[in-house]
Amino acid sequence: MALAYIATKEHSPQESKQAKAFIDSFLKRSLHNLQEEEIQRHTDYKAVVLEHKYNGKKTQKKKKSKGLSAKQKREMKLFHLKPEQQRSVFLPLNELWKQYIRDLCNGLSPESNPQMIQSKLLKADFHGAIVTVTKSKCPSYVGTTGIILQETKHVFRIVTQHDRLKVIPKRNSVFTVEIDGFITHVYGSKFQLKSSERSAKKFKLKGTIDL
Amino acid sequence: MATNVKDKDAYLRLNFLYQAAHCVLATNPENVELARFYCHTEKNISKRLVLRQDPSVKRTICKKCCSLLVPGVTATVRQRKCRQRQRKTVVRCLSCGKTKQFLNNPSYVLWGDRPESQPQYPQSQSKQVATQKPPVNSKTAR
Ligand SMILES: [Zn+2]
Repeated sequence: MALAYIATKEHSPQESKQAKAFIDSFLKRSLHNLQEEEIQRHTDYKAVVLEHKYNGKKTQKKKKSKGLSAKQKREMKLFHLKPEQQRSVFLPLNELWKQYIRDLCNGLSPESNPQMIQSKLLKADFHGAIVTVTKSKCPSYVGTTGIILQETKHVFRIVTQHDRLKVIPKRNSVFTVEIDGFITHVYGSKFQLKSSERSAKKFKLKGTIDL
Repeated sequence: MATNVKDKDAYLRLNFLYQAAHCVLATNPENVELARFYCHTEKNISKRLVLRQDPSVKRTICKKCCSLLVPGVTATVRQRKCRQRQRKTVVRCLSCGKTKQFLNNPSYVLWGDRPESQPQYPQSQSKQVATQKPPVNSKTAR
């Protein structure tokens, strides 16, 4: 911190006289409506801080993030479905899905190439499809049918005919999807991906297929 | 014409997801979570494959919680004053409270519609560019 004193009465006599004369005339010119005594009071022994004041710690602005963290998402239950769902509500969704698949495969017909359809279905969306569990290591899952509502990394959430939300793990199960007479088997163990990641992933054509 | 678009399957999927979100919300307005999930996956797919979303789609999805903004169901829409003789449309998400603001400016042209946004090619290629424009994710007519 640098302090400078305006001292008009100290210093060497010649300089101070000159300086005093200069300051007096300058103040008279600039502050002509003040009286001389007041001017004296203003000039005598005053500390002037020449450097800028230091205001303690600078208040750092918190970076505002637009999104939510994964923890917040979990706490807000953003994607948490209610257990009571009505199947009839999702029939339009199923219709929409059928249209989408027909669009994707350029119209399903008996003579279209099954391999092409398979490769397209691999990257397609399954929300709204009617699936049946045909094989599973856990026998109680076999035979359940329903509309897929949510597909997560490890689990399908489906609505059954009895208006109940069921959670079926993908691992160790084989699902069957039927569209316009085409029957597709989906091996759940190979499907354990987030549904959004599946459209970007490249699947290997060959591999041993186990439950 | 539409068959030679590069990521046709992905665009179809995005379109389907957006429509599914609308469909679910229309049949049962309580089901916000499911619509949000569909919008979330849609957003993630477009992020991963680097596909540009049309502004009309982007403006109806909440940036914070990804829920589908339908006026009166999941969002409120208000006209507010902002400057003299200027009004803005404020869309507020009802589940997280995030707001979007749009100036009411009728002469505003979207960047994609401006001529300078299209890359300049020699004349022989310009016809191809026009046909390769990605299909716009269209809303269902409901
Ligand atoms: Zn929101």
